[in-house]
Amino acid sequence: MVVPSGSLGSWEWRTIVGNMFPLLVVLSIIVLAAGITLESAEELLERFAILAVMVPTMVDMGGNLGAILSSRLSTRFHLGTTELDPRDRVLWANVLAILALAATIFTALAFGAYLIGLVLFDGPIGLATLLFISLVSGMSVAVIAVVFSFATTYVSYRLGIDPDDTTIPVVTNVVDVFGMVIFIGVSWLVLF
Amino acid sequence: MSVRQEFWSIYREAIPILFIALGGGLFAGVVLEGMVESVERFPGLLVMVPVFLATRGNVYGALGGRISSGLHQGLLPPAFERNDRLVNAVIASFINGIGISIVIGVVTWLALLVLGWPAAALYELVGIMLIAGVLTSVVLIFGLLLLIFAGYKRGYDPDNLVGPIVTTLGDIFGMVFMLLAIGIVEVIV
Repeated sequence: MVVPSGSLGSWEWRTIVGNMFPLLVVLSIIVLAAGITLESAEELLERFAILAVMVPTMVDMGGNLGAILSSRLSTRFHLGTTELDPRDRVLWANVLAILALAATIFTALAFGAYLIGLVLFDGPIGLATLLFISLVSGMSVAVIAVVFSFATTYVSYRLGIDPDDTTIPVVTNVVDVFGMVIFIGVSWLVLF
Repeated sequence: MSVRQEFWSIYREAIPILFIALGGGLFAGVVLEGMVESVERFPGLLVMVPVFLATRGNVYGALGGRISSGLHQGLLPPAFERNDRLVNAVIASFINGIGISIVIGVVTWLALLVLGWPAAALYELVGIMLIAGVLTSVVLIFGLLLLIFAGYKRGYDPDNLVGPIVTTLGDIFGMVFMLLAIGIVEVIV
């Protein structure tokens, strides 16, 4: 190996843990809001088993979409290719692609959950209702993911923080919380 | 690149990955549904679920990102061998992954206390998180390294592999091991 040996630098486990653990604690406290929402919806989940099946995807997917957009935006900022001009058509292509991905995935989620419901639970929720719940909450989360990704990438770039290090984990976890709250809220309104 | 080309290139690149994540998410959801009935025995269980799943992504996503940068920079060979950097990165992930699991149990218990909601005993919540955290760490760390190394040797960019691997494995094994941990704590306590 041609790499200078002897110094582990940032690969020392104490350094990695020391840098990451405080952030992990902060993120856990943020996502606790999603957990409290889920616990408060226990009755809803017991009555409509299929909603529980949708929960992990609802929580993760907004964060996934936010992560895809944030890392693309941060790369563009690093390369100096954008000034956040609303007339920048490539930025709009990014936003539209995220919304199209969301529409595809949340439609698939409704169909997937419906099929699982038919096989496992004899599901009491119809396909149209599931599609409505999945798309309304999913698209709302996607819009929030887009707004948060732009805002935080821009702010962290202005403040001179590398968005890859801290901003993206914070954005994805915050969007996770919105995913849970919106999903439970929309399900509640539709089913009661 | 025109707007239409840019749009389709982003869409095509991301959609297979998101479908893999959807599959993992639905499986995890079926396991979660089986867990709902244990909530009466251990109130607070559902509070921990999203936090536990999110942390899996945070800890092992960071490990994956680090390993893939290491491979790109030639700091690491793509193999399981006694390499100081690899050993340190793995130790750090174990400590972060297991440590934060214990924190989740404690913070959940405190939150329930503040809200005045029913809560399982502190040692029950921490016990469930500790068992689930240890099991998930082992499977995710070694599974992630195995898949990244194998993919890298076959010419895939590890940067594109880390996200979907972590989300999918994290959801599936996180929920399965949490259900298992609930069973174990139920028997012991």
